[in-house]
Amino acid sequence: MITLKAGLDRALEWVCVGLFVALVATVAWQVFARQVLNSPSGWSEELAKYIFVWLGLFGAALVFGERGHIAVDFLVRKLPRAPQKAFGMLTHALVLAFTALVLVYGGISISQLAWEQTIPALPVTAGHMYLAIPVSGILTLFYCVHHLIAIGADRMAPVEAAQAEVL
Amino acid sequence: MDITSLIGLILLVGIFLLLAIGVPIAVAVGIASGTAAVVAIGFDNAMLTSSQQMFRGIDSFALLAIPFFVLAGVIMNNGGIALRLINAAKVLVGWAPGSLLQTNVAANALFGSVSGSAVASVAAVGSTMAPLQAKEGYDRNFSAATSIASAPSGMIIPPSNLMIVYSLVSATSIAGLFVGGYIPGILWALTCMLIVYLYARKRPGLTVSEKLTWSQRGKIILDAVPSLLLIVIVVGGILVGVFTPTEASCIAVLYALVLSFIYRSVTVSDLKPIFLDAARTTSIVLYLIAVSSVMSWVMSYARLPALVADGLFAISENPYVILALIIAGLLVVGAFMDATPAVLIIAPILLPIVTSFGMDPLHFGVFMVMALSIGTITPPVGPVLFVGVRVANRRIEDVIRHLIPFFIALVVLLAIVAYTPSLTTWLPGLLGL
Amino acid sequence: AQFTPIDESALRGGGSGVEAETVYRVAFNQPETHPQYVALTNLGERMRDETDGACALEVFPNESLGPQADTIELVQAGSVDFSMVAGSLMENFNPDFVVFNLPYVFDSKEHQREVLDDPEFTGELFSSLEDKNISVVTGFHGGIRNVYNSVKPVETPEDLAGMKVRVIESDTNIAMLGQMGGSGAPMGQGEVYTAIQSGVLEGGENNESIYANLSHDEVAPYYSYTQHLMFPDYLISNPTTLDRMAPECRDFLETDMATTTAEEGELWTEEVERSHEMAEEAGAQFNEVDIDAFRTAVQPLIEDSLGNDFTRKLYDDVRAAAE
Ligand code: NA
Ligand code: NA
Repeated sequence: MITLKAGLDRALEWVCVGLFVALVATVAWQVFARQVLNSPSGWSEELAKYIFVWLGLFGAALVFGERGHIAVDFLVRKLPRAPQKAFGMLTHALVLAFTALVLVYGGISISQLAWEQTIPALPVTAGHMYLAIPVSGILTLFYCVHHLIAIGADRMAPVEAAQAEVL
Repeated sequence: MDITSLIGLILLVGIFLLLAIGVPIAVAVGIASGTAAVVAIGFDNAMLTSSQQMFRGIDSFALLAIPFFVLAGVIMNNGGIALRLINAAKVLVGWAPGSLLQTNVAANALFGSVSGSAVASVAAVGSTMAPLQAKEGYDRNFSAATSIASAPSGMIIPPSNLMIVYSLVSATSIAGLFVGGYIPGILWALTCMLIVYLYARKRPGLTVSEKLTWSQRGKIILDAVPSLLLIVIVVGGILVGVFTPTEASCIAVLYALVLSFIYRSVTVSDLKPIFLDAARTTSIVLYLIAVSSVMSWVMSYARLPALVADGLFAISENPYVILALIIAGLLVVGAFMDATPAVLIIAPILLPIVTSFGMDPLHFGVFMVMALSIGTITPPVGPVLFVGVRVANRRIEDVIRHLIPFFIALVVLLAIVAYTPSLTTWLPGLLGL
Repeated sequence: AQFTPIDESALRGGGSGVEAETVYRVAFNQPETHPQYVALTNLGERMRDETDGACALEVFPNESLGPQADTIELVQAGSVDFSMVAGSLMENFNPDFVVFNLPYVFDSKEHQREVLDDPEFTGELFSSLEDKNISVVTGFHGGIRNVYNSVKPVETPEDLAGMKVRVIESDTNIAMLGQMGGSGAPMGQGEVYTAIQSGVLEGGENNESIYANLSHDEVAPYYSYTQHLMFPDYLISNPTTLDRMAPECRDFLETDMATTTAEEGELWTEEVERSHEMAEEAGAQFNEVDIDAFRTAVQPLIEDSLGNDFTRKLYDDVRAAAE
């Protein structure tokens, strides 16, 4: 499981970097087409939006893997070791439940519902785009299980030490 | 209990309890909102709708400016541009009492005017200034406090990622918010300079470190011109209507990248960590926005804002009193929560209330961003405080003592901005935004 | 500070706040002043009165339940009961809806009403989405779009030469404006004012209401009645939702719809008159154009859009009903 996680981490990192580069390229193309070529592009905005959503959702899974999502954990930190571990595991169980129900189950439902709904200017359907949710959810589920096992076996701190920096 | 109150209760108690046990903010909001949605529309519909709202909440071209401004900030962080802005700040205000501290404030304001993030600013400026200040005998704790207190000015001076988030929630123009932030943002920097001045006046030992000749000054300013041109390209481009804010942010990335390559502060091998770093920050924010849109949807469905308004008006129907309550509330929320989720959660509830007594949504946005920016320097949850303390290699307890005068002055400034709409709305009005 | 006393009506959460045993939620993207909002709210109240409080409609304006595209999915799922959506969005579910979105397909508001009310024209199209969980209750008038600009009155396609005109972001609209003689520039509505002011654009195309309310009359004073587009909006629901409605509610909805669409049409006329006056006061000039020249100019687009026998026949029938 540990090697699997390491492999998934690397893969997700490259997916995120790739999507980000594609995003910069798409919007740069839009500016170029409008300002320089004087022929505004009809597809770049739609495409950029979807790359962006995919980047956000896959990046979110990666950050779940790194335990980097912002939490208010100053209360839990004050607890002794044993209850801290219990709360650490409860927290991951809750993330797991939310992800399984909303992202995976809900995501598959909305994806099915919109499977044939076309998107103007792009050769894919809304349902295809929605797939990013359940896929990101399944990756997050894997990380949750990994963290639960690691905390249970005392291989991982129940509360993450470093906090992410946001905006 | 009617459904509106029940849903309000689930959201309030649910989010509070989940946060207290250390659940990530995004998941806490998600679980509470999902549960509220089950009450409103049943299990299957709630799961599908929550999922859809998460996706559609971030499916926005305007939001695209955020990853780009974050990326530009990370690139500028890597030296080169930040260093030249700091040098320029030194020429501009280095002659004043408390030379290096004044430089620190001005550098944060300048960095803020090309970057959308206070954390990026305190990291870049603070880490460069701290060793210089220590070498010249400045108190290292007060220096760190100065850097921390002045960094959030960059979140109010455009461009600002937080304003983009607010514009999404409130359907206000990004250009208007950006321009509206100029005067309050500059006042923020001036307020910090005033505190530094009062501090330095009592300590004549803090002299101006090095005398620069006019030709040296000219060279330093000239050297900073390409970096400062970013302001013209980004904000100017948006105002003139050449670019949309999203396009401008993308230009900022390309421009910062080219400049950093020329300055050799970024090499090709740095690119992966730079993109990854920006991707992480972006994803954290996007995921928050995603779950917040589930919450907004449930609140609209249940008409929750009307209920909150009733509660607030039960205390007082005087707009001035309500505004004071809102300011106090925002400061408390800012102490315990990061600014982005706070905007996402609170703006949809408070906006209808403040517009009901004639407050301009643009004015509300700017002072809300200001109030929550003050929260970024206060414990227990203060990202700018934490990063600032870390880059200066200090202990939080020691720095906080020196932050208190800044905090008091900034709260006074906040009240002035809240009760003086023209400070925010005059400039955008002048430009027809 | 200059704050005003609290306006409680702004605080109902933006909705009509009607009360009944069953309240059906209607998602709507425009403000409370929009003709469709007023007409639907009145329909909801009549429904409550006529059914002795058994059911009513509650309209949620300003996208408070989401933008139109999202609310279609919510209607399909059953999370929201009704939604008012633009005709162009319906093309994502059945491309044949394109016929009613083509330039110059309708000659007048009355012609459009006649077509939308006649099952001969709409029966097959409207029922085509039932298997996708969408029922089209009826079509509404959505205004008439005309070209406006900052340069001069436009009378013929030649007059539009060299002008960049903002269009809704789609390849069809870019192509349409090209054939009308100008050059179509897709852009978000929020940026149009400054774009015209700074000369990035020469103009836009929209109904009088948007033109006057967004103050585009200040920067583009020439409003020319090209009347090129008359998109209908559709009130949609879900077959299951409709089947589950109490019979008296369902019956009322169906029988009262003619009253509702008639009222909505009247309100549009008033809104257009009011906006016209506002724009004239702001210095706008209005002029008639050579409609036939524009109609001829966009024929290639119309031909390209009619991709199958069904759409071609429907288009021909609708045009025949105009003469
Ligand atoms: Na800034
Ligand atoms: Na804080």
